[in-house]
Amino acid sequence: MSDNPPPPPPRGGAGSGGWSERMSDNRIEGYARGLFEIARAEGTLDEVEDELFRFARSFESSDALRTALSDEQIPPAKRQAIIEDLLGGKATSTTTQLISMVVGSGRTRDLPAIVDLLVARASSAKHQEVAEVRTAVALTADQQTRLAAALVNATGKQVNLKVVVDPSVLGGIVATVGDTVIDGSVRTRIDQLKSRL
Amino acid sequence: MNVLGIIATAGRLMSEEIVTDSNGDVTTHHWLLPETAEIIYGGLASLIIFYALFKFGGPLVKKSFAARTEKIQKELDAAAADKSAAATEAAGIRAAKGDIAAERARLLSDAETQAAAVLEDGRARLAVEVADVEAKAVTDIASAQGRVGDELRAEIARLSAAAVDHVVTGSLDDATQQELIENFIARVGASA
Repeated sequence: MSDNPPPPPPRGGAGSGGWSERMSDNRIEGYARGLFEIARAEGTLDEVEDELFRFARSFESSDALRTALSDEQIPPAKRQAIIEDLLGGKATSTTTQLISMVVGSGRTRDLPAIVDLLVARASSAKHQEVAEVRTAVALTADQQTRLAAALVNATGKQVNLKVVVDPSVLGGIVATVGDTVIDGSVRTRIDQLKSRL
Repeated sequence: MNVLGIIATAGRLMSEEIVTDSNGDVTTHHWLLPETAEIIYGGLASLIIFYALFKFGGPLVKKSFAARTEKIQKELDAAAADKSAAATEAAGIRAAKGDIAAERARLLSDAETQAAAVLEDGRARLAVEVADVEAKAVTDIASAQGRVGDELRAEIARLSAAAVDHVVTGSLDDATQQELIENFIARVGASA
């Protein structure tokens, strides 16, 4: 199946741990493959992939959201209701249902890894590399198009641009394509200046 | 009176007759001298007693005298021995007294030597300790200077970093953000 190439390992060095970690990696990969197949079957892979990616980044950056969705004391139905409230009308129903499914199955903590694998799998299916772009302010569509072209030009790879608005960047852009990091953020420059000081 | 005289007197007395006074009572023939027979018998008895004394008491007396002499000699010998021992002891005491004086002198000499050594050692140790303390003080002062300098530099760096954060964050308006983004896109696009 040329549409289902083997996905790259998820972020965090998957496969380097013990049996339980390998088991967890297998489950994460299974969930990612399942979500990928569902989104592709629904014909909304690009949209769902993008929405899942954004939600995963929000999940990572928000302690309150992470705590609320990962708390085992809260019934799964209530946590799924939180997701419905958050994404209702802002994301496709497929995205909402997929996230609810992951949360309902008790794999909330693995959601970012599952989504990263899904995005990597979707990018591989399109013969693209995921380009994670972090900016302090949202990029316009034109800027995204020109940035994607610039990254293609710089890396020589077709890129699947994923923009994350991250206030900690302060200004500028941090682009990560595979193992390549192009850091033009104000945060890094300030850190370098502090280091020199 | 010798023995022959006594015997002659005894014979004459034996030949004397008993004298009586006018009342017929027996009286001595002399107011001082006893009767001749009494003199004879007394003299013989005295001789016998003297002989017995000489015969039987003489050896005892001689023995007693010899024993006394021997005892006195022993006492004299013991006294001489005691005197000799006392002289020896006195000599020992005098020698010991001399030794004590020598020992006292030696102890005093040793004490003075040890005191001098202790004093010298104490002075040397004190000099070393003073040098160490001085060196440590110099090091501490240098360290304190360095530490204060480091702390000052760190504080300046911290304040500078805070100032940088404040200034940069405050200057990042929308136009600057867009300029940073455009610059990034241009730079990445030109880095083929």
